[in-house]
Amino acid sequence: MLHYDFMQRAFFAGGIIALIASALGVYLLLRRQALMADMLSHVSLAGVAAGTYLGINPSLAGFVVAVLGAIAVEYVRKAYKTYSELSVAIIMVGGLSLAVILMTMNKSVNKSFSSYLFGSVVAVNRTELMIMLAAALIGALFFFLLRRPLYMVSFDEESARTSGIPVQWISFGFSIVTGMIVAAAMPIVGVLLVSALIILPAALSVRISSSFTTAILISMGIGLTGTFTGLTASYELSTPPGGTIAFVLLLFLVAGLGLKKLFALGSKRSGRLVMRPETPVSRRHRAADNEHWSSS
Amino acid sequence: MIILLLASLQDVTFGYGDVPCLEMANIEVHSGEFIAVTGQNGASKSTLLKLALQLLHPWQGKVNLSPTNVNGDKLAVAYVPQQIAAFNSGFPSQVTEFVRSGLYSQRLNWFRRLSPDAKQAADEAMKSMGVWELRNRRIGELSGGQKQRICIARALAMSPDLFVLDEPTTGMDKESRKDFYKLMREQIDQHGKTVVIVTHNLTELDGMLDRIISLERREEGGWKCCTTTSCSGHFSPAESLR
Repeated sequence: MLHYDFMQRAFFAGGIIALIASALGVYLLLRRQALMADMLSHVSLAGVAAGTYLGINPSLAGFVVAVLGAIAVEYVRKAYKTYSELSVAIIMVGGLSLAVILMTMNKSVNKSFSSYLFGSVVAVNRTELMIMLAAALIGALFFFLLRRPLYMVSFDEESARTSGIPVQWISFGFSIVTGMIVAAAMPIVGVLLVSALIILPAALSVRISSSFTTAILISMGIGLTGTFTGLTASYELSTPPGGTIAFVLLLFLVAGLGLKKLFALGSKRSGRLVMRPETPVSRRHRAADNEHWSSS
Repeated sequence: MIILLLASLQDVTFGYGDVPCLEMANIEVHSGEFIAVTGQNGASKSTLLKLALQLLHPWQGKVNLSPTNVNGDKLAVAYVPQQIAAFNSGFPSQVTEFVRSGLYSQRLNWFRRLSPDAKQAADEAMKSMGVWELRNRRIGELSGGQKQRICIARALAMSPDLFVLDEPTTGMDKESRKDFYKLMREQIDQHGKTVVIVTHNLTELDGMLDRIISLERREEGGWKCCTTTSCSGHFSPAESLR
């Protein structure tokens, strides 16, 4: 399989995007912005349509519009602080409606419409590969240098702000990086399934990891394994690569959660749950907790 | 001893939606003070703290937060909110990681790693709050009182100039509360820190406080105003204001 040039390119592109998208997914999930990836992929479709209409490279135009959409969502989020998910709905409606209008104005878009909707990783061209590499490098640098402030911002923005973290700038930068990664991931799984590549590995890793760093590393591992397995299965079974990758990741999630439950049940039955020895301090704390919860 | 005005609210009015909840509030927080903020449920105590920390912007009036401490360095503030939503959402983090995060804004080297000194400060903070034995536990597994303790440990690890604590002793037993208040008083007396704490247990703080800020209902409407009571004890702000 790997002696084909197009498969080598597919594995290379899928690998770099799987790693960076899975890391991004953990932050999106913890910042309660899981739908943002889905929204930005729909918005970038407007960029693809506009690019084709104006004679600009559609992938590049989609990339720029996804970044602009990510910045816009940050501003709308501030206007609807209490209902922050509204910002996702508003920007998605704006982007999608514009995409539909532009596509009907230019019939040539419809011909390649399905490749944007469902992805075509085996047909990744040089420009798309360069965009993916640039997005992955910038994203990796951003997440590495700001991993500690990002932990604080993801945990609690107010405490982060009072302790001197420039929350506004970090959120702004995070939005731009999100837009870039979503746009770069589109050729792999397409608009409709891009959130699978970003969110599914993170959804499993946050359930099974004990620490923040482990959650990111496990998510990257799941993303990479799922993408490579999906690509292999797609080649062997002659199924569409985007859908196959997304389906494999979903299977990983279901299997992972199932195994976790089975393991917990097994530990309970065999009495292997390790009880921590109680110290005078922990005994006092436990008594206080019981007292607090019984009185409230 | 140099005393600095760390935070002040001048004629501040604030509300949510169209309904004002705090009107014409005037407060000053000086360095080296131990201040309790008290009032009934819904009296806008947490709102008052958020206004002072500039997390909320007043409708009217002025809020000042000093950019520097008494030594002229950047003012370090540790804020312990009443509730943090992430605790209940399965946030994947260990206690040690969480307590160390207090130092992420100030003590990272070029490789974005904490120095051994910073790690030791976090360890000391965990020990002083009695959560050392929980250090490898996932934060979501902890009880309410334990979560409060690790939040305070994170604040202590920062060694801030100003502690702003919103009902930090919820879920703690009486003995732990007393130890905690004593620890805060030591932070003021021995390290020159400033503490602002929202509490309902004023009697337990007897003899430790410098001032009490009470939020009370106004007779002419449903709004609240602030009254400040000086406590017999440690400090008179008028003596050497810079």
